[in-house]
Amino acid sequence: MEDVLDEIVSSEDLQKFERVFHEQLHQGNVSHKAQFEYAWCLVRSKYPTDIRKGILLLKELFNSHPEGKRDYLFYLAIGNARIKEYNKALHYVKSFLEIEPANQQVLALERQINKRMEKEGLIGMAVAGGAVLALGGLVGLGIALASKK
Amino acid sequence: MTSGPYNYSYIFKYIIIGDMGVGKSCLLHQFTDKKFMADCPHTIGVEFGTRIIEVAGQKIKLQIWDTAGQERFRAVTRSYYRGAAGALMVYDITRRSTYNHLSSWLTDTRNLTNPSTVIFLIGNKSDLDAQRDVTYEEAKQFADENGLMFVEASAKTGQNVEEAFLETAKKIYQSIQDGRLDLNAAESGVQHKPASPGRPLAAPPSSRDNCAC
Repeated sequence: MEDVLDEIVSSEDLQKFERVFHEQLHQGNVSHKAQFEYAWCLVRSKYPTDIRKGILLLKELFNSHPEGKRDYLFYLAIGNARIKEYNKALHYVKSFLEIEPANQQVLALERQINKRMEKEGLIGMAVAGGAVLALGGLVGLGIALASKK
Repeated sequence: MTSGPYNYSYIFKYIIIGDMGVGKSCLLHQFTDKKFMADCPHTIGVEFGTRIIEVAGQKIKLQIWDTAGQERFRAVTRSYYRGAAGALMVYDITRRSTYNHLSSWLTDTRNLTNPSTVIFLIGNKSDLDAQRDVTYEEAKQFADENGLMFVEASAKTGQNVEEAFLETAKKIYQSIQDGRLDLNAAESGVQHKPASPGRPLAAPPSSRDNCAC
C-alpha cells in the first residue's frame, strides 16, 4: 500500500454503514452524516459498481449540503481516480484547489493521480507494439530507478 | 520488473489520534518531510504518510494513518485503529480541553486495538510554553498511571518529534523480539518482509532467468 488510492475498505465496515444508510432510507429520512459515511466506504470498495454508487451519493450531498463541500470534493476525486476516471478526478482536485490552493493533502492526491496516469500511459503504449514495449520497459525502468533515489 | 527486493524488512502501522487542531498532521509532516506547515487546514478523513527508519540495524517502513480530529469523521476513522502497532495520541499543551479528552481517546484506542499496541502520548506545541495550560508533571503522571510513553514535542521546531516516532518503533520491535507481539496474528499491525521476495523461496537455485544482472 503506497498511497490513499490503494486503500480498500473492510467488508464489515461497508456493511455496517450500509445498514445504517438503508435503515434511514426506509424511514424516508437520510441524514448527511449517514449518507457521507456510507459513500466514504463505497468509494474505497474494490468493486467499481460500489465506487460508482458512492460517487452518486457524494454528488447528491455536494448539491444539497454546502457545509461539507470540501469533504465531498475530496472523496469525489478519490472515487473517480479509483475507477480510472482520471480527468474527472483532476477536475474535482482543481475545484478544491481553487478554494484552498496550498492544501497538502489534496496536492498529494493530485501527484498520485498524475503518477498513475503516467504509469498507465506507458502500459498503454507498450501494448501498441513490440518495439514500443521494449522502449516503454526501458523508460519505465529508468523512471523506477530515478524515483528510488 | 517494477519491484526489486524490498529495502526494508518490516512494516509497522501507526495511527495518530487526538482532538482537532492539536497538530496531528503537522507532526506527521515534520516527521516525513522535515517541514513545518503553518496554517495547516483541517484534515479530511485520513491522511497517509510513510517513512523508512532503522531500528537495531533493521530497516522498518512506517505506514502512518493520520486521522481527522473533527467529530463528523469519527465513526469511520475508528476503523483505522484496527491493526495498528503504534498509536500516537496527541493533545495541545496550550488547550486544557484537548488534554481532558484524552481518557476518551484512550478508551477508544484500548477497545479497538490489541493489547500489544504501543500507545505514545504527545503533548504538542511545546514551543508555546508561555501559553501553557497543562503542566508537564500532570501529563507525565497520567501517562505513568496508564502505562503510556510520553514526551512534550513541537511540530514547529521539530523538538522530540523524531523521538516519539522512533521510540514507538523501538518498543514495537522489542515486543517482537520478546515474543509478546505475534507476527502471525491477523491484526498485529506488523508485517515481516522476506529479504528478497522477488524470488520464491522454493525455486531451485539454478533458475536464473530473472537474474537482475
